[in-house]
Amino acid sequence: MLKDYHCNIENIRNFSIIAHIDHGKSTIADRLLEYTGTISEREKRNQILDDMDIEREKGITIKSKAVRLYYHSKDGNEYILNLIDTPGHVDFSYEVSRSLAACEGALLIVDASQGVQAQTIANINLAIKSHLKIIPVINKIDLTTANPERVIKELQNISEIKEEEIILASAKEGIGTSNILEAIVNKIPPPEGSSSRPLRALIFDSVYNSYKGTIVYVRVVDGVITPGMIIQTMSNNLKYEVMEIGIFRPKMQPIKKLTAGDVGYIIAGFKNITDTQVGDTITDASNPSRESLPGYKKVTPLVFCSIYPVDNQEYENLKTALEKLKLNDSSLFSEAETSEALGFGFRCGFLGLLHMEIIQERLEREYDINLIATTPSVMYLVTKKNGDTIRISNPSSFPAKNEIENIKEPYVKVNIITPSKCIGGIMDLVQERRGSFKNMEYIDENIIRLDYDLPLNEIILDFYDKLKSISSGYASLDYELIGYQPSELAKVDILVNHQLVDALSFVVHKDKAYRLARKIVEKLKEIIPRQMYEVPLQATIEGKIIARETIKALKKDVLAKCYGGDITRKRKLLEKQKAGKKRMKKIGKVEIPQAAFLGILKID
Amino acid sequence: MELGLYLHFPFCIAKCPYCDFNSYQLEKDNQVSSYISALHREISAYSPKLKKSNISTIYMGGGTPTILSGVQIYNIVEFCKDKFNIDKNAEITIEANPGTLDAEKIKLLIESGINRLSLGAQSFNNLLLKKLGRIHNTKDIIDSYYLARERGFSNINLDIMFALPDQTIEDFKVTLKKAVSLKSDHLSLYNLTIHPETAYYRKYKKGQLQLPNEDEEFNMYRWAINFLEEKGFEHYEIANFARPHKRSMHNLIYWQNQPYLGIGAGAYSFLKGYRYINFKDPVKYIQEVMNGKLPIDQGEKLSLKKRMIETIILGLRTKDGVSYKKFLKRFKVDMNSIFYQQINKLINLRLLLKDDYKIKLTRKGIFLANIVFREFID
Repeated sequence: MLKDYHCNIENIRNFSIIAHIDHGKSTIADRLLEYTGTISEREKRNQILDDMDIEREKGITIKSKAVRLYYHSKDGNEYILNLIDTPGHVDFSYEVSRSLAACEGALLIVDASQGVQAQTIANINLAIKSHLKIIPVINKIDLTTANPERVIKELQNISEIKEEEIILASAKEGIGTSNILEAIVNKIPPPEGSSSRPLRALIFDSVYNSYKGTIVYVRVVDGVITPGMIIQTMSNNLKYEVMEIGIFRPKMQPIKKLTAGDVGYIIAGFKNITDTQVGDTITDASNPSRESLPGYKKVTPLVFCSIYPVDNQEYENLKTALEKLKLNDSSLFSEAETSEALGFGFRCGFLGLLHMEIIQERLEREYDINLIATTPSVMYLVTKKNGDTIRISNPSSFPAKNEIENIKEPYVKVNIITPSKCIGGIMDLVQERRGSFKNMEYIDENIIRLDYDLPLNEIILDFYDKLKSISSGYASLDYELIGYQPSELAKVDILVNHQLVDALSFVVHKDKAYRLARKIVEKLKEIIPRQMYEVPLQATIEGKIIARETIKALKKDVLAKCYGGDITRKRKLLEKQKAGKKRMKKIGKVEIPQAAFLGILKID
Repeated sequence: MELGLYLHFPFCIAKCPYCDFNSYQLEKDNQVSSYISALHREISAYSPKLKKSNISTIYMGGGTPTILSGVQIYNIVEFCKDKFNIDKNAEITIEANPGTLDAEKIKLLIESGINRLSLGAQSFNNLLLKKLGRIHNTKDIIDSYYLARERGFSNINLDIMFALPDQTIEDFKVTLKKAVSLKSDHLSLYNLTIHPETAYYRKYKKGQLQLPNEDEEFNMYRWAINFLEEKGFEHYEIANFARPHKRSMHNLIYWQNQPYLGIGAGAYSFLKGYRYINFKDPVKYIQEVMNGKLPIDQGEKLSLKKRMIETIILGLRTKDGVSYKKFLKRFKVDMNSIFYQQINKLINLRLLLKDDYKIKLTRKGIFLANIVFREFID
């Protein structure tokens, strides 16, 4: 039987695990759960906290999760340890910063052979900004390629971390687990706050559950919360009756009260998730606190693409699916739009490419909708001759050239950590992507850190893949938005069979327009199957053709022979082909496969 | 009931690298004799069930049926005659590969009542034959052909392939002209298809096969149709050409979606709306038969709609198309009432012709038949 006791706030520790992707964050979490008996032998599996299929398949964490551990420390006391697991990928760093606000400390996991990576540095900075106690853990020391001495040096070069604070561990082998737990208890301060003050609970996440409705994850800072209480969200003063409160073990387990310092969940008949914004403060309606907790910056999507159902009749399903996903993902943005080519769909905003990919995959897999996703774009600021400035995330809604005074595009500060021998290739890549060099710093004799400013547009497509291939997988990347800068940009339109396909338009720096347009029409020629007639493909800027190709007419499509029982096989083959055709989008008379709309992504 | 009878012989001297038929390189001779025993038993098992049926055609295909001795073949045909009601004028075809025939064997084939020979010539270019992994050369084809003619075969088909690796349209023209000069009665023309799980497929995936492109393939096929029609052949099915009155009656049963019984490993049958297949593996097939079972691996009862669709798809492969009257008689429903939309759409695309009696492919529709077929598919 699980214990359900409350203890003094002095015996509570709230912590996150932060790490560069693949450095073993989820495995460390697994070990802590096992060691503290939070999960039984029977429930053991890898990545215990990752319950989305997609998380297990990709081996990454997308959503933050919380779990309460009970730990009997060597000092003889019982502690409540609240672990908040966070994503490791750069796209989800906002999730990380949110979770950190609910903690007093963080385990910083660094891979013993890979060493410090871009996300390691970003995470340290985030933790310092949130005034967290950092417990550095060098993981995977069992690997033959492990070099903890080097990693210790790297950590010291980039931060104030002291050697004696560093814990050596191998989550795989279970080495270092008890040291980690002791460090959590001894190094991380207990939460500040008081149960006797009016209730203040920070919403650090919320999820939608089809049985229970919206469930908010909270860190109680002050006061007490119990079922039956009337609570109020401080940003909009909406009131709710608490139906259930509980903790994560790691499954939701109802309890009778949550007090200052606790991490848990609240179910309170929240009508929709937008009423319970992440970062908002919950207080007691009958004894409200005067001051809300510092919230979060609202996250702004960086990457945009349009999502359309292949079958227009699936529009309503898509709409519902997006709404449901938004319930569990406040960073996902979507608004209805129409395309002449694709019909009714949505313009969606994402934190990054991985985020975009994951949402698309979830829509297809969890909601079974055939999608067309267009080439990703960024948000442009366009100032018109009449003085208006508009934000444009969809190339097809760009004003005509003669109406435009100037265009600004978003720039990011990119931080690359790489073995120094790859520097030549990386400099070439960054140059080709219109980057400007800012700084270079040695982390140790073989590892350097490079800072560049780059247009976001240049890194959202395949920059990361290119970086990885130049560095044989060793370089890592982190970036943050730094603002908008004026740019000479051109919008390229694509005409298929003389018909403008708005969903294929893209924006590109004018020096690259010709080359990219040429490649796109060549690629489209490959992707679009031959039709019954010749199909011209043209790329234009302001109506002027800058590239063209022709897809020749389909001349022969006939099964050579068909005898006897062959008809069964042939029929099945034709059925399969027909199903494939149904997945294509008909524009005018031309059948275009989904892949065509992602054309730019596929270009080297 | 009128039936076609198919007998399958899954053995070859060597397996061709492009072939995905149910055929195996012959390892030991006793394989053949135990296989023949199994054929006999399967035939016997069907005999009482088909007392009221007439068999109008027999087709012995493979593999290479002529890998059997003349006597073995003779006995099988005799056995069929003994166990089934075979029409007096039944068309009886045997497939043969050049190089597996001699005068003695041909004599026995004729004596058994086999009256049609289908020769797997494939090409009259020795280099291409070698690439195809064929065991014969051009001379073997010509020798076998004339031998069969002299010894009394008055109905001979030649199988010819095109769109072969490194083949040019000029190569193909030479082959086809040669085939016509032999005055064969029938020609089957297949473009090479790369099937998964063949040696060619693996080569193709590695980029080691230089296949003619779509335009070249189209040009070969178009040229062949024009040329053969000029030479007095009737293009009566997508891949088949016949001199007057020399259409393959057995294959017409398939294209008219009429019933047939298949005997042997991997043979398909279509009886009473069921289509089923025997076990493909000869060992398994023999085992099942010898255990007194029908060697059926799997089958499906075709829904009415599927039967309609198949009747149309198969019928459209032929020059005669699909007759409204026959369709009505068979399904008790007017074809137009069910497929009106598809038919009209395809007529507008100029892929289909319709008159008071039938629908059929246009010339363009022949080249793009799959577009037509897919339209009818559910």
